[in-house]
Formats: sequence, structure tokens, C-alpha cells
Amino acid sequence: MIVEHAGYLPGLDADSVDRQAKAYGPEGAEISVLLPVLHEKQVVQLVGHVREQAQLKLKSRPLGQIIDAIDLTVSRLLDRQDPYRRRMDHLLPIITGYDREMVRLGLTGYLKTFRKPQLQRFLAEDFINPAILDSFQPLPKGGLGRAFGPKILTHVWAGNVPGLPLWSLVAGLLVKAGNIGKVPTAEPMFAGWFSQLFAEVAPELADCLAVVWWQGGDEVLETAVLNESDLVLGYGRNESLAAIQSRLPITKRFLAFGHKVSFAMVSAEALNASKVCATARLVAYDVARYDQQGCYAPHMVFVERGGSVSPERFAQYLAHELAVFEEKFPLRPLSLEEGSAIVSWRNMEEMIPGGQVFSAASGSWAVSYQAEDKVFSPSCLNRTIRVVGIDALDQVPAILAPFSALLQTAGIAAPPEELVALASALGEVGVTRIAAIGDMTSPEAGWHHDGRFNLLDLVKVTEIDGRAEGSADRLASYDD
Amino acid sequence: MVYDDITVDLLSFIKADAPNNDEFNRIALQLFAYQFAHNQPFAKFARARGKTPRTVTSWTDIPAVPISAFKALEMTCCRPDEAEAIFMTSGTTLGRLRGKSYHQSLSVYDASMHRNFSERFMGGIERLHMGILFPTVEEMPNSSLAYYLDLAVRDFGLPGSSHLIGEAGIDIDRLIADLVRAETTGRPYALLGASFSLVHALDGMEKRGYSANLPASSRILDTGGFKGQSRELTLNEFYDSLSHRFNVPRSQCINMYGMTELSSQFYDDGNAISPSVKSGPHWVKTRVVNPLTGAAMPKGETGVLVHTDLAHVNIVTTILTEDTGIETDDGFFLLGRAEGTEAKGCSMAVDEFLRAAGSAVA
Repeated sequence: MIVEHAGYLPGLDADSVDRQAKAYGPEGAEISVLLPVLHEKQVVQLVGHVREQAQLKLKSRPLGQIIDAIDLTVSRLLDRQDPYRRRMDHLLPIITGYDREMVRLGLTGYLKTFRKPQLQRFLAEDFINPAILDSFQPLPKGGLGRAFGPKILTHVWAGNVPGLPLWSLVAGLLVKAGNIGKVPTAEPMFAGWFSQLFAEVAPELADCLAVVWWQGGDEVLETAVLNESDLVLGYGRNESLAAIQSRLPITKRFLAFGHKVSFAMVSAEALNASKVCATARLVAYDVARYDQQGCYAPHMVFVERGGSVSPERFAQYLAHELAVFEEKFPLRPLSLEEGSAIVSWRNMEEMIPGGQVFSAASGSWAVSYQAEDKVFSPSCLNRTIRVVGIDALDQVPAILAPFSALLQTAGIAAPPEELVALASALGEVGVTRIAAIGDMTSPEAGWHHDGRFNLLDLVKVTEIDGRAEGSADRLASYDD
Repeated sequence: MVYDDITVDLLSFIKADAPNNDEFNRIALQLFAYQFAHNQPFAKFARARGKTPRTVTSWTDIPAVPISAFKALEMTCCRPDEAEAIFMTSGTTLGRLRGKSYHQSLSVYDASMHRNFSERFMGGIERLHMGILFPTVEEMPNSSLAYYLDLAVRDFGLPGSSHLIGEAGIDIDRLIADLVRAETTGRPYALLGASFSLVHALDGMEKRGYSANLPASSRILDTGGFKGQSRELTLNEFYDSLSHRFNVPRSQCINMYGMTELSSQFYDDGNAISPSVKSGPHWVKTRVVNPLTGAAMPKGETGVLVHTDLAHVNIVTTILTEDTGIETDDGFFLLGRAEGTEAKGCSMAVDEFLRAAGSAVA
């Protein structure tokens, strides 16, 4: 039995921290994770320490040095022989249940988007002149401006896709915030490992971030942390986010990233004999990767009629490709409830007039084909997807319009002029990201999560009014 | 095979003193053929799985219909408008659809309830003075539980047995009057109802500072769990409270497990020890399976319950529930019920989606 300590708690005496053991693995017996059980006083002390240290060591540090520290940490994690990376490759599959190879390949592909050039691109996306994070810079309208990150940025993470917390944690470091990250029970390790390694690589910044855990819904600890935060980033179910918002004083800012749904669209051109196999494989990859647990994974595929392969036939191609992926990257073990939900979903899909379901005997994937019912309907995830036949892809935006607030990624397989036309119409109904099929689950560096500015949303700008410069001049010793 | 012939066969099997497995199998296959021929959505469902009267040779081959199908489809052998009764599940968030069970006639349902109730709850007593903590059939015409409890009063209750729930909830005055009368006369009393109503009764009696001292052979039947409609108690707290408040030993506190999608019920042999082992009568067989593959779970491992109830003549005999359990030598432990609780697992995505989309899908 492997024992791991979750969290990263700089400034707290390790012996004073209570721990609660939680077992992970198929039989619940492979890893024992010791989750930190903090008391309210400890949490307040921890946040105070991070705030003070970030103020002291992070705020005045040139951005370039912070980028270097992150880059160095990430390059260590990209090295498969690095002890931290080896722990991740070994333990994350056990904790999350995802296939070992899928986790390993996924982590490498993901970490590659956090190296120095990508971090610089990340900054350039949001700031015309990233130096605005270091010092006052001229503003186009006149005067000067400097961007300040929050003193304490709290992240409430959710889900079990390995590595996901890195997005916001890196964003927090880039805007020089003191960071408090709360990990979910489903995957409590990655953020802590990253922070420990970051502290090793950049000891001078070791006290500027902390990773904590509490049982979801623990009002006392959550309120204690929220009260000490300047800005809160929340991920997960709308109910949990609403609970956070209700506990947050009006003077604090809260950026909520609720669950979103994504979908794919396949034009007739992507269905000709030479392309259809590749198209089906790419869609299947988006479905299989992390078993649709990320909000960028497709729930539905709209397939255009008129190609050399019919939508119904495409559903069978897709089923075949999912069967192939099942061999390569098997589905993670499901709970009985998840299994029951899949059975129920398959059954409902089959019962719709014109509906057909193709599924694995083992139940590890299912494709439903709907000839008539075009309503946007969520899949029950874990490699279940609905294929809908449609006369023309430009009918899709109208189908999606009622779900505007929930839309995120559209994976599109279509020729260039159609791609652009569709993108405009999809943007109108609320889609915030258009990706190629096969890339849906790996957003590029610097993408705008849910259409927002990842860094810009975190800062406040202090402006020196253009006229203030002139007025100051009149008070100078050299004034005539 | 026509409905009346099947019914005759079934009624004699339900009454049988020494039922055997071959007879169970024969009737199950006969019912499968009948339901395959007359229940169109079921026939489609079975055919899609390669199950037809020609290929199905054992009752375990009959495809188990997920209970969600009772919501989506008109699962019935008779015409819906010819049904003597339609029982419905309480509404859920999923498109506000309710699961429906059509009963062409209730003769088999009644016979099933009778024999089982008499053996498992009445324990040989012919009639008891009963109090019912549930609305009447008139108030809830589509509730199978309301019908079941009405049958209990009609066929097993002494004159004076009555429903103790009115528009304002439990009538504590009448409940206490009932209990006092039982104490005075020394005649045993039976209190039956939804588990959450019994919690409300406990709370109401506590407020009055009243505890009953019911005569020996008195008994309590609860069913359905708390469903967020009362405070949540552990099983031990619940049965301890009942036992103390009514002076009924835990071994005489019987839990009934029933479903709108069936025509028979399951009982335990009292709750001296909780959780208790539940079992059905000889015309019902229960298996514990992996929901995705349908394969039986090894004894002692948790799976989802599949029930084959021969009394469910007009619909399907075999259903795949969303309830989890463990098989034992003489029945099963019921671990979790999906009905009435928030959907778990990945169906949460569907549920949350519908809520978030709000009126868009209504």
C-alpha cells in the first residue's frame, strides 16, 4: 500500500495538521491518500502566511523570473524520469481510474502548453504589453497603467481530469497573486505535487501558494477561506457554485465556471470515402479521451446528410472506432450508479422513434443514432454519444439556441468557408470555442476559457490619469 | 394464449402449496410469449437484443426492462384505455415523466398481495385493527401504495380500521385515540404507512409526550424510506424509536419494499437486526447483476437488482431496477434506492442540464 500526503501547506507545522486517510484503487486498497483536515484557525493562519509572503516575494519580482520558475517546473514534469513525474504516471491512473497510457500521453501533451513560449503567448493574449504586470506602462488613451493581481486568489477546483488545476494556478502566479487552491476528493494529488516541485525549483517563491482540501460543502472552512480571499475562481456544478456565491461577501469578486456542454459537427465533405474513417476516428478520440469528463468533450455529433456516407452509417463507423479505442485505452471502472445511468440512457435513446443504439457488449461505449429527434440532449458521458442526422449544418445553431448559457466547444469538420460561416452563427448562440475534431479535449495555450480573459479577469488596473502627469510637472523643482 | 387462460394458471401457481422451479419457468416463458405478442414496445426492445419466444428457453434469458422504459413508453398488453388501473410513480425532474404500470385487471395483483401480506405481515392472524398513515385511493387514485394499503384495510382490517392522514397531515388525535383503545381493549394493533409518515407520527407523539403501550402481537409496517420528506434517521435509530414509542419489538417492525413497476412486494422478517434480509414470494425471483452487462454478481458483491415477477401479467415480468443490493442465501440486502433521491453518477449531467436549461426544454 502506497501512502501519499495530499496538499501543500507552507508555514504550517506538519505535525500540527490532522490527516484523514482515503483509499483509492479498484479494490480501494492500492493508495492511501492522507488528506489534510485543517481547523479554522489553521486555515486563517495559512492564508495569512501566503498573503504576506506573496506580498513580500512575488509582487516585486519581475514577470520574467516567474515565467522561468514555472517553465523550469514544467520542464521537470515533462521529464519522464523525474521523480514527481514518475509518481504522477504511476498514481494518477490508480486515483482516477483512467487508462495508464491515456494519462501519460495526456499529461505530456497538456504540460507542453505551459512552457516558456506558451506562457508568453498566454500573457500576450490578454495584455498588449505584459510589462504592465511589473510596472506602470503607457496606455493608448494617454497616462499610465499598472495591473495588480489579487492578494489572495482562491481556486475551488472540481472533477478528476488530471492536471486541470494547472490552468488557473499558473494564471494566478502570472498575475502575482497569493494562491490558495482547494482540491476535489476525486483527484486530490496533482496540484499539491506541482506546488511542492515549484517550491523546490523556486524556493524563494515557495510560500506564495498553498493547496488545501476540505469535504465539499464544509461551510466553516469554506467561509473562513472565502472571507480571506480577494478573488475566487470556482469550478463545478451550478449548485456548488451558487453555494460559494451565497457565502461570499459582496466586496469580493467571484468568477464561476459552471459545467458546460460541447458537441461536434461533421459536414458532408468530411464523409467521402477517403475521409470518413479519419473523421470517425477523430470524433471517437474526443469521446474516449478522459471518458468525456471535461466540459470540452462532445455530447452529440450533428452529421450532415448528402455525403457519400449517411449519418446512420457514420454512427456505425463511430461505434467501430470507439471499439478500437476501447482496446487501446479502456474505459475506467464505473460505479454501479454510472453503469445504471448508461443503461437507462441507452434505453431511452433506443425508445425514441427512429432511434438506434450501437453498443459494446461490455457496456464500455454506446452510440445512439437519431434520425428524427434533433433536440439537443446531453449524453450520460463515459463514452456515450448521440449522432443526429441533419439536412444542413447551418440548421444546428437554431437547435442550440435554447441552451446558450451552457455551450462551450464546437468541434467542426468542414471546409474553410463553411467553418467560418458556422463559427459566426455558433458564436451568436453562445459557443465560445471552435476546435477541429480530435482537438476538442486539448485546448491550445492561451485559449479563452468559456470565452473570458483568463488573466485580464484576475487583475485590477491602477491608472495614472494623463493629466496627472502634467499637474505633477508643475510641482517639480525644475518647473519654470 | 389469451389473458384469461394465463390468469387462471397464475392464480393457481400463486396459491400452490408446493411450487416448483419448473412450473415457475414454464409460466415465465408463457408470459414472455404473451407479452412479446401483445406489448409492442417490449417486443421491439426484446428483438433488438435477439430475444424472442424462439430463442428464450429459460426465465433468466428474458430481457430485463430498465424502469426508465416505464416512463418513456406505453408498456402494456391491453389498450391503455381498457386498463382497470393505472399506477404511476411520483414525478421526477426528467422531463416530468412518470413511470406507468397498466393493469388490465387487478385480480392477480390482489391475489399476490393477499398471500404475501398474510404470510409475511399478518403472521397467521386473520384480521387486525389497523391505522394507515397514507392517503386513500380516492385521494391518490394512481398510487400503487395507496391501493395496496386500501386492500390491507379491506381484507385484513377489523371494523374501525381507518386512514389517519387528512389534508393537514397526520391526525395525531385520532392516532392516539386508536392507540389508547388498543391499550384498553388489549387487542393487538397494526400501524402501516410510508416510512416518513411514521417519522412524523413519532415526532407528533413526542410533542404530546405520549408513548403507547401496545398489546402483544401488535405490529408496524413501513415502506419507501424517508425521501427527504422527514428528517433522515439511520435504520437503527428509526426502529429503536418505533419500538420504544409504540412498545412494539423490532422483530415486529416489518419493512416492505415495493415498486410501481411490479405487482408483488418484498418483506423482511422484522428488524431485530438492520439492515434486514428481504425476499419475495415464490412467484418472484430476484437476481443481483452488473447493470451494464447483465451478468450475475458473485454472491456477497454489490450489484443492481433484477426482479422477475410473474404477477406483472399485463406489462413485463422482468425489470432492471436502479436499486443496489447484495444477494444472500435467503434473499437480498437492499442497499440503495434510486427512486425519490437525487440521480447519481453520470445521470447527474442529464439532470443538471435539464435544470440549467430550465424552461427551454419544458
